[in-house]
Amino acid sequence: MAVPEFFNTIEQSGLSTWLRESESIFSFYFILVCHTLGLALLVGVNSAVDLLLLGVASDIPLKPLKRFFPVMWLGFYVNAISGVFLVIAYPTKAFTNPVFYIKLTLIGLAVATLWAIQNRVFGDASLSEAAMVAKGRTMAKLSLALWFGAITAGRLLAYTYTWRLYDTLR
Amino acid sequence: MPSFVYPFVAWLAETPFSKLMIGNKYWWAFLMDMHFIGLAMLMGGVGVFDLRILGLAKALPIAPLQRLLPWAIAGFGINLVTGGLALIGMPVAYAYDYAFWFKMLAIFLAGVNVAAFYLTGTVGRVERTGAGQDAPPLAKFIAASSLFLWFAVIVLGRYIALFENSIPMGSN
Repeated sequence: MAVPEFFNTIEQSGLSTWLRESESIFSFYFILVCHTLGLALLVGVNSAVDLLLLGVASDIPLKPLKRFFPVMWLGFYVNAISGVFLVIAYPTKAFTNPVFYIKLTLIGLAVATLWAIQNRVFGDASLSEAAMVAKGRTMAKLSLALWFGAITAGRLLAYTYTWRLYDTLR
Repeated sequence: MPSFVYPFVAWLAETPFSKLMIGNKYWWAFLMDMHFIGLAMLMGGVGVFDLRILGLAKALPIAPLQRLLPWAIAGFGINLVTGGLALIGMPVAYAYDYAFWFKMLAIFLAGVNVAAFYLTGTVGRVERTGAGQDAPPLAKFIAASSLFLWFAVIVLGRYIALFENSIPMGSN
């Protein structure tokens, strides 16, 4: 496989090596912890908001749920940043695995759906509660399906990679 | 580690069911996948409920948010099952891991916290907290403890792999 030497350059770097080989509890596993906490914030709260949009608590006003969006976006940024560190630690493992690209695509679509829900459902002050539900229903179902897929793809990364490091390619 | 633990986990590790759990890497991946789905369901339901009690999105009345809790409980149930099967699959690895035991402690404390919510009658006062109203201070304490404990469960869970073999074998 023609894999860019660039991955080797990243893996040889001080940061990448430290993340993988340091005995500190603040290295690789700490990044994984942040990634899972971010997942809890983003996917957890997003799923709850999706369920509420789908009528799980039909006697609740939906507009105040707008206040949960900062929590979700915080989860997103925590995961974007921790994700970058994970890829710096294991670039070959990630970028030579097709499942990684599937994961990124599903996340992209799920986040785009979240953005659409925020703007089209919660961002339109003229909508009645019933109209919010009507507009948000399909997006909520899509959101749940996409996150289910993204989590699955993410978990599969640990079990589907072929090359762990650039060195193992040879 | 009490003296009966090592013989028990050593025996369990040799059973056909245990070997079945770790026999296929895609089955293991499925168990772990569902464990994270359960985590998302649990954290979402508990998180939204606890954050409202703590004062976020105060325009929401709290009582209807309880409809999210069955989903959180379902998530916990999924994790109890997938976690249990994982434990049966690799009993020695988990039994000799500090992070695993502290995770179980954190889950137990989260359960005690839930019991306190109901036994102190705080649940009733929280249900009566309407739109724009503040939940009682004890409710906020219980909600904050809940978030802290479940976050601790996640953190400890992720450190299980790092703390493998942290408990010396053969110790009684």
